Amino acid sequence: MKTALILFAAAIPGFAQQRFDFTSLDKLGANASETTNITLEGDTLKLATSFLGGDKGPLRNLTGVYVRSFEFAKPGQYNEADLASLRAYVKTLKWTKVVDVKDTGETSEIYLQTLPNDKLGGLAIISTEPSEVTVVFISGVLNLSDVGKLSGNLGIPDIRLEHGGKKSDDSKKD
Amino acid sequence: MNFDDELRAALQREPAPADFAARVLGKTTKTRALPLWRRPAALAIAAALALTALVPSAVYQYRQHRRAIEARDQLILALSIARVQLQQVRERIQHNTRHKI
Repeated sequence: MKTALILFAAAIPGFAQQRFDFTSLDKLGANASETTNITLEGDTLKLATSFLGGDKGPLRNLTGVYVRSFEFAKPGQYNEADLASLRAYVKTLKWTKVVDVKDTGETSEIYLQTLPNDKLGGLAIISTEPSEVTVVFISGVLNLSDVGKLSGNLGIPDIRLEHGGKKSDDSKKD
Repeated sequence: MNFDDELRAALQREPAPADFAARVLGKTTKTRALPLWRRPAALAIAAALALTALVPSAVYQYRQHRRAIEARDQLILALSIARVQLQQVRERIQHNTRHKI
């Protein structure tokens, strides 16, 4: 009983970390002229990966793919503060912030969970421009060398990264 | 015997054989005793049940297939957006680095 309680208590923070309500980002796009909204998880994600190698494919261990991309007709039509909850969530995951670029009116952040043996545990991209916001969040284990094999097939892009946030040499050809 | 007598004799009512009723009833019983699975109504019900079972299954499979294709397209789009974003970030870094140098 005691052991079960300890396990339960240990699982609570982990469970809390696994969930983020991506629909909370939808308010970012209230004034957007173009919206891309992708949520793939559970059975839907399994269906999607079944075309890309299935249980033996490189994407088999993905647990969630979320994209929110909004384009606005004019600059300043979204509230940057609406991204605060996502940034706070990514912070709780303790992923490595490999890129943090702030330019005039533009910011780019990339967070990675790097795992041994050339594997990623997750990838988050938060990119803002005066008239565009994009959030990409991919969770689950990705074997980078396997993903490389898919590149160029079925329109699958090359998203390989070297540890430290730089793309690998062959990906620079894109 | 003249024609009238012949006609009368021909049309004379004759009693049915003693076993007539039993034979008729016997044939009727035989008709009703068709096996259940050979009766038209049973066949129609079976066909309806088969259709009821097959059609939803086919519709479900078709919808699953459509869902899978849509999900795959979304996954490919998501990975494409990720790639574009990573490229843009790389370009920004290169641009900033060049300016600083």
